[in-house]
Amino acid sequence: MTEYDRILADLYKGLTPLNKGNIALTENTELLGDLDLDSLKTMELLLFVEDSFDISIPVSILPDVKTIGDLALQIEKIVSA
Amino acid sequence: MDHKLDILTPLSATPTVNSMPLRHADFETLAQALDYAALGSSGANFYAGSGKLSYVLPYRELREQAITLAKRLSSLSLTRGARVAIVAETNADFLRFFFACQYAGLVPVALPAVIHIGGHKAYVNQLHGLLLGCSASVAVSSSQILPFLTEAAQEIDLAFIGDPAAFEALPEANVALQHSNVNEIAYLQYTSGSTGFPRGVIIKQQTVMANLVGSAHGLDVRAHDRCVSWLPFYHDMGLVGCMLAPMATQRSIDYLDTRDFAMRPRRWLELMSNSKATIAFSPPFGYALCARRVRPEDIAQYDLSAWRVAGIGAEPIRAELTDNFAQLLAPAGFSAKAFVPSYGMAECSLAISFSPLGQGVQVEWIDSDALADKLIAQPVAANQGSSFVRCGPVLPKHEVVIRNEQGEILPELYVGRILVRGPSIMSGYFELPEQTKLSLSEDGWLDTGDIGYLVESNIVVTGRHKDMLIINGRNIWPYDIESIAEKQPELRSTDAAAFSIPGAEFEELAVLVVQCNIVDADEVHDLTQRLHREIQEELGIKCIIELVPRHTLPRTSSGKLSRAGSRLDYLHRRVNQIEYK
Repeated sequence: MTEYDRILADLYKGLTPLNKGNIALTENTELLGDLDLDSLKTMELLLFVEDSFDISIPVSILPDVKTIGDLALQIEKIVSA
Repeated sequence: MDHKLDILTPLSATPTVNSMPLRHADFETLAQALDYAALGSSGANFYAGSGKLSYVLPYRELREQAITLAKRLSSLSLTRGARVAIVAETNADFLRFFFACQYAGLVPVALPAVIHIGGHKAYVNQLHGLLLGCSASVAVSSSQILPFLTEAAQEIDLAFIGDPAAFEALPEANVALQHSNVNEIAYLQYTSGSTGFPRGVIIKQQTVMANLVGSAHGLDVRAHDRCVSWLPFYHDMGLVGCMLAPMATQRSIDYLDTRDFAMRPRRWLELMSNSKATIAFSPPFGYALCARRVRPEDIAQYDLSAWRVAGIGAEPIRAELTDNFAQLLAPAGFSAKAFVPSYGMAECSLAISFSPLGQGVQVEWIDSDALADKLIAQPVAANQGSSFVRCGPVLPKHEVVIRNEQGEILPELYVGRILVRGPSIMSGYFELPEQTKLSLSEDGWLDTGDIGYLVESNIVVTGRHKDMLIINGRNIWPYDIESIAEKQPELRSTDAAAFSIPGAEFEELAVLVVQCNIVDADEVHDLTQRLHREIQEELGIKCIIELVPRHTLPRTSSGKLSRAGSRLDYLHRRVNQIEYK
């Protein structure tokens, strides 16, 4: 299992309570388009990410994140930096 | 300008009790207010998401650094009053640039620093619109946000753009600085996240100072007061209420980043507790978010007994919410009497009225039918009709009237448009004479866009006649939501109506009704999903989307979209749906 896969697995776990429509989560699942996260749910997701990976997410990475996979890649970059 | 943390001398926040006597904002300009604040020991303190104090900026240092930066800005040979656009993150740089403009005779403009997931293009467009709207000469942001700002500034002729370090490299001009004067513009304030038509409120020095004096007296600011804020600086309550007001009364303030608050709302209460703060403001949703996230085991650790002004405004206020918050935090010493319902808007610098201190939320119960049919506020017994909150009398030296649609002034308890006049009203919208005329009469009356009535001179807001939506304290224009719909290939330019409805917890919910000929389930799904995504990216709000057949949306007699009609129709359809189930 690569680092990326581990991060992805953690993200699926963190997203479960926010996944109201019980959509099957893949790396291509869109955070807004598919999961319909509003700004407060997005904050819950970021809180989960910051706490479980012990990192601080810079504001500037969010605009280019669309899918769960995009987010996992960004986390991987921060974790390995 | 980051200071490396020195392990040997741990940071300590600026003191609450100042070394200089308290002055209640009685200065001619913001620069003079800072000149005085700089003589004392108070200042601004910034806290990290971890809750740790990360940076301390005494007003004394702020003034020195702002003056140095003003000289560097002066090396750019800008015309007096040129606009300096500052992407407003909650950090010391924002204060430095804002006050450097004051000392250099330039006009600061706070730009939003909110970036939504997937919102790259939307954020760049928004910044682009704002840079154009204020005809910025200079633009600055943190190095993190700079790539977006630079992209937004393409094809805009700026004298200088960069992060704070780039400005540090400018030479200090050898000039005698002339600070922005009484009659000059203190700042421009953009009032909504609008990409469609940003409107910059022009506030002059004497205007904002008049409002700051009004607030200092309205809140009876005292020598033991300390403030806490998580409100963004690009929001009027954050800029004027939580940056300029504390500075102009020489109070220390503790800042928490807006995003850190949204992620960890309990930090707000921790900070209030630890610093024994006495004044904090928030839109209702901030209190609601806290109440939802507070755990019973936390409450025992808080000490909120010093909190004497819990300002609440910017959105309709519901007593259920404040009651709930007060009840929950009573064991931590929070008093329901600390709530100060407030009414205000950027067009009036910030504050229009504060409810009397120490009384908490005063609820008005009025007959719903008389309100709807006769526009009269007819008192009824508690829990028998509609409830609204008294927002107190208009600030001293200001006037408020209620007018009907014919422009006639109405007596107390009659519902109509709320108009305000006085020294803290804006000069107009920047370079938008038409918009200015719609809001500001020649004899100085500001049409607030709100509907309400007066009772014992207290302002009570019952609704809005402007179509604006207020979601989580942010102003959203329906046009901005509708234009996202109308640029979809399946839709035409008259196919969308956006408005808000009350949600289960009295919050406003955005609704978008779209008319189209699409019936295929996949196509319906595809369009709906695309709209959800683009609205989130651009505006960062969740929106209920309803597709209806073409020719469903009601028009006015002149053929214009009737948003009010669309809203009523929508509510009827919703009620019927529930009944048929």
